[in-house]
Amino acid sequence: MRVLTVMEHAFRAGLADYRAIFTWRSWALGWMVRVIAQVSFFALIGLRVANDRAAFYLLIGNALAVAAQSGVFSLNMTTTERWAGTLPLLVASPTSPVVVFASRGAYLVVDGSLSALGALFIAGPAFGLHLPWPRVLAVVPLTAIVALASYCFGTFLAGVIFRFRSINSLVVLVGYVGLMTVCGVNVPLSYYPTALEWASRFLPLTNGLLAIREVFAGAPWSTVVGHAALEAAVAVGWMTAALLTFNRLASRGRLDGSLDYGA
Amino acid sequence: MRPFLAGYRLELRIVRASPDTLIPFFTAPLFTIIFLTIVRHGGRHDLQPDALMAPVLMTLWWFALFQGGNLVTGDRWQGMLEWILATPSSLAVVILGRISAIMTLGSFGFLEVWAIGKLVFGVSIPFEHPFALALTLLVTIFAMAGTAVVFAALFVLTRNSYTFANSASFPFYVLGGVFVPIALLPGWIQPVTKVIFMSWSSDLLRASVRPSPIHDEWGRLGMVLLIGGLSFLFGRFVLRLVLRRMRTSGELATA
Repeated sequence: MRVLTVMEHAFRAGLADYRAIFTWRSWALGWMVRVIAQVSFFALIGLRVANDRAAFYLLIGNALAVAAQSGVFSLNMTTTERWAGTLPLLVASPTSPVVVFASRGAYLVVDGSLSALGALFIAGPAFGLHLPWPRVLAVVPLTAIVALASYCFGTFLAGVIFRFRSINSLVVLVGYVGLMTVCGVNVPLSYYPTALEWASRFLPLTNGLLAIREVFAGAPWSTVVGHAALEAAVAVGWMTAALLTFNRLASRGRLDGSLDYGA
Repeated sequence: MRPFLAGYRLELRIVRASPDTLIPFFTAPLFTIIFLTIVRHGGRHDLQPDALMAPVLMTLWWFALFQGGNLVTGDRWQGMLEWILATPSSLAVVILGRISAIMTLGSFGFLEVWAIGKLVFGVSIPFEHPFALALTLLVTIFAMAGTAVVFAALFVLTRNSYTFANSASFPFYVLGGVFVPIALLPGWIQPVTKVIFMSWSSDLLRASVRPSPIHDEWGRLGMVLLIGGLSFLFGRFVLRLVLRRMRTSGELATA
């Protein structure tokens, strides 16, 4: 019960953080304009390189990459705490820091899903992408699974770089552009070398994106659910890895005094 | 000249102490791979030079936007702004020196993209018009520095400058024709792109790696210079206004 209370408080703190960063106006006119431009940028490349089909492929892939991008932003949680000077207090508290971090940044799953769906449903029709009704509704929970899996991946990475504040933004940016590069966002997985294709199946986004492409292609639901289940399994895997490593890595920071923001 | 050089040296030291500053050097190879895989998968090997030019511009833009744009805000957060303003040197000259250091670093992105294209895909930048290419890069860097001064001035006014910096990346990549020429954008949006120096730079960069002669090279270079110069003057004007307002209202320090 106490853990649930901590999670609730952490989630509320995260929401308060987010409200301090964005107003509705700056979210809609700043962030969403950027997201729609990002997706349109790649769709235009598709049009230039080939045709509508290539544009739709890039549009769907890059819209979903936005969900992954927001999920990986959870990496910023530890740095925020460190700058605020609250990280040593969190580590010293009886609750595991991973519980706090996992809950505090959970709003990013909602934000990432909304941003990706907004980009898909605004930029998609603008480029002439057909949204098959009511099949397309399946894209909503699938996008949420992608955002969740990416968030779990981000939480794991947050533990890994817990003590290396100076490279935080670097890992965030390289993390999400890396996912854009190897997860079948811009070209089919079969285009990659076999080892990379195989490895990308263990990363967030890859399987969820395959599921969404199958929804648009009108594939049987069993195929869609199969890919979705794999994406969910990837989410569970990364969160388990985060739970197993986070506390140990944080404890090392207590030993060498690297938790303080001045370190 | 001394404040300019002092700013230049200061920024190089800041960069050395902060690996996060060098983010574009880590993302540029990835964007190079992304663009090259898209065009090669689409069977459009003729677009490979364009796929190499796009990450070069994106790298320069990132440095101008995030590093240049956040200079004054960063100084303010660290409580340095009052001290800088109290010195007899011109703030705009110090900032220009610092931004020049950032843009000098950014220009290495060209070499990096070239190397990644060659090493990963065996694709090189075709130096069809090397003089035009070098000149275009030079004036582009100048215009980027001028634009960075505008961002630096405007971001001080915002509650969270990173929010605005984040929002100003891809919209400008589209409007600046970084990969897709603006001629392919809808007609109603094209007049807007004419006042964005990157739309002139990107067209020129693409033209300088193609064998066909470059149409109106000097006129287009002049436009990049003109827009960049006007941006610098505008940025300097806004910066002066903003700082005067902050001095009057006692808002120089974030506290």
